[in-house]
Amino acid sequence: MNARSLPPPFRFLISALALAPALWISFVLYQAGHAVTGLAVLLVVCTGIHVYTTARNPAWRYLFPGLLGFGLFVILPLVYTVGISFTRFDSSHLLSFERVRADLLTETRRTGPEVFAHRLLEREDGLFRARFTDTVQPERKYLSEPFSLTPRFAGIDGPGPVPLHPALADDPLPGRLLDLPEITRRGLYLPLREAAFSLPDGRALAVADLRHFAPQDRLWEERTDGALVNRLDGRVIRPDFNVGRHVDEHGEAVGFGFRTWAGLENYRKIVADPRIRSPFLRIFVWTVVFAGISVAATFALGLLLAVLLQWKELRGRHVYRTLLILPYAVPAVLSILIFQGLFNQEFGAVNELLRFLFGAAPDWNTNPTMARAMVLLVNLWLGYPYMMLICTGMLQSIPGDIYEASAIDGSGPVKNLVYITLPMILPPLLPLLIASFAFNFNNFNLIHLLTLGEPAMVGGGIAGETDILVTYTFSLAFRDSGSNYALASAIATILFVIVGALAWLNLKLSTRRARPLPR
Amino acid sequence: MNESMPSFSFKQTAAHLFLIGFIALVTVPFFLVLSASFRAGHFAPNQLIPEQVSTEHWRFVLGLPFEEIADPATGETRTVRAAVPPLRWLWNSVKVSVTASLGILLLSGTAAYAFARMRFAGKEPILKGLLILQMFPLVLALVAFYVILDFLGGWLPALGLNTHPGLILIYLGGISLFIWMIKGYFETIPPSMEESAAIDGATPFQTFWRILLPISAPIFAVVFILSFIGYMSEYPVASVVLQTSDQWTLAVGAHSFLYEQEKLWGRFAALAVLSGVPITVIFLLCQRWVVSGLAAGGIKE
Repeated sequence: MNARSLPPPFRFLISALALAPALWISFVLYQAGHAVTGLAVLLVVCTGIHVYTTARNPAWRYLFPGLLGFGLFVILPLVYTVGISFTRFDSSHLLSFERVRADLLTETRRTGPEVFAHRLLEREDGLFRARFTDTVQPERKYLSEPFSLTPRFAGIDGPGPVPLHPALADDPLPGRLLDLPEITRRGLYLPLREAAFSLPDGRALAVADLRHFAPQDRLWEERTDGALVNRLDGRVIRPDFNVGRHVDEHGEAVGFGFRTWAGLENYRKIVADPRIRSPFLRIFVWTVVFAGISVAATFALGLLLAVLLQWKELRGRHVYRTLLILPYAVPAVLSILIFQGLFNQEFGAVNELLRFLFGAAPDWNTNPTMARAMVLLVNLWLGYPYMMLICTGMLQSIPGDIYEASAIDGSGPVKNLVYITLPMILPPLLPLLIASFAFNFNNFNLIHLLTLGEPAMVGGGIAGETDILVTYTFSLAFRDSGSNYALASAIATILFVIVGALAWLNLKLSTRRARPLPR
Repeated sequence: MNESMPSFSFKQTAAHLFLIGFIALVTVPFFLVLSASFRAGHFAPNQLIPEQVSTEHWRFVLGLPFEEIADPATGETRTVRAAVPPLRWLWNSVKVSVTASLGILLLSGTAAYAFARMRFAGKEPILKGLLILQMFPLVLALVAFYVILDFLGGWLPALGLNTHPGLILIYLGGISLFIWMIKGYFETIPPSMEESAAIDGATPFQTFWRILLPISAPIFAVVFILSFIGYMSEYPVASVVLQTSDQWTLAVGAHSFLYEQEKLWGRFAALAVLSGVPITVIFLLCQRWVVSGLAAGGIKE
């Protein structure tokens, strides 16, 4: 661990051993077109070597692994997501500009009516020749110049299309004929498909279907100014980076859309586009209400139970306590799914019981208000043990003689709670309450597994009445057919600013006071 | 407080009645699920005692073959057996959660040592930055995680999508809360022992390893349990990263029984009981440690 105490030759050796594979990896990455990533790998490894061999401050040796993991799996995804929020990236702008461009450039048009059957011939020296026979006029045959094929490699080696020359039917075959099974077995089919040949009149011959070649060339001709010209109708299209598509003179889009920078457009949509703004605002309000009520209700119930369990004359307090913690001990994923079944409108246990007792069964799944009530009830069940546990800890730190003094004054339990207990425990608990608020603000599991955000919000698109912002955002990106990653990322960024601010506030509050420490 | 004789006052009785009633209400879901796991067919849990007792769901979850009536008209039966025994998902979850939690211990323990005991530039901002940046909801970085693992997998298939190491790597990012907890604990330990060891010629690593770590075992237990429980329940990231059923974790697998179109409540119930019970027991056994960790701000996911 302490490489600085090692003699310099060892230090040098260790550095070299770490640097060599790093250099190799960066080079491979660079060659594959990931120059930035390669550079980043090299930078990280060099920093690591510096930290563990020559850096004077030992602190960084302890920080390096943790900060590296944090950087890679928290900061990098965060930056990436915030970055996406300034782009246009959805199901109709899914590919990069380069990919869309390359796709357009592989589109072809036929330059003649002929269709040729082809045979592949192998020469003694390992080079290949191809023979083409017109399917309509079998006496019209062409033979290619020798060329090489790399098995299983999609793409022709050597320069440009292979020239073809007219051949006669009774010419001796300049090599051994390969049949299709042999071609596929030797992995030659793929490279042959990609091969291009040029007819004596200059037209290019390329693969048309499984067994045939036909004269064809690129549909789009690339001009030096970046525009593409259609060889069939002379249409000129240009990439429009404002809309993320190739468009012609009339503004008509051609080909797939591509990802582009969109500036603040996604944020503007959230503020200005009524189709986004109205569900966003409703969901925002519900998110705050949901998180607020959840914290208040779990705190109230947890405090009540904690106070009750503090009562020394009560027998069996430990048994009660253990049983009361149960909802917290069971993995939340399982309990949330269990409640999904219990609150099932038709067959669930809750409604069976209510029907039996009162003859009424609330529509938990279809009525927005009831669905929200159900979400809050389930969250109360899930969350009160946590509050009970932390309140118990806080209550134990209140000196008992305060209550004795207040009992002499003749105060009852309610007065004690309002004038002694709450003022004593609320300030130190405030950071935990804020943390709990922030947690519920982004309580994805509860909503996603319990209701999926349903029932649907009328006129809200993908939004549901029980959706909170984080599940709504998830739906926009992963459940909606539009897969609007960019808009989802913009909302994610806003969410992060909100909860980040809460965390900052929390830090302010808790550093002003001594933090409660586990001991 | 001196008289320890229980006095059965009205208040006491009321408190007992309230607690017993409340606990009955709170725990009844568990009994309903237990019953649903032994009930023939797939019904949302709604009976305390199953009408028709059957062990089919338990056999399915344990990966044992069983006979099922394929055609009610002819009484024809067929043998059903889970392609991937759901018990495997519990094992996958335990594997991922234990490995990730050990990794978390390593990363957050070392970093916390630097924060608690050493001086370096930017200490306060980094410490606060860690906590604030961690507030970014994991769920919403899913696209980024997908891209990162897809890229990694192109070079190192063992770390790519649909692998446990890949998922564990992502989980290793969640360290900041634990750094704060461990740092807080370290700061309650007087540095005098380490200082005297340093005077005797111990390196920082030796004081960390030989002196600080052994006395800090409790906080490491807390961190391990909290992170283990958190990852056992993690759903969104696992559901995106793990694509084939043999790789699924408990959360993803359990949810798979409850598709919109077909809700297999019986199988889900059996799996929930089978996997929920050991985790619950572990939690209750470690209660004391968990509670002490909660006060430092650990929130179960």
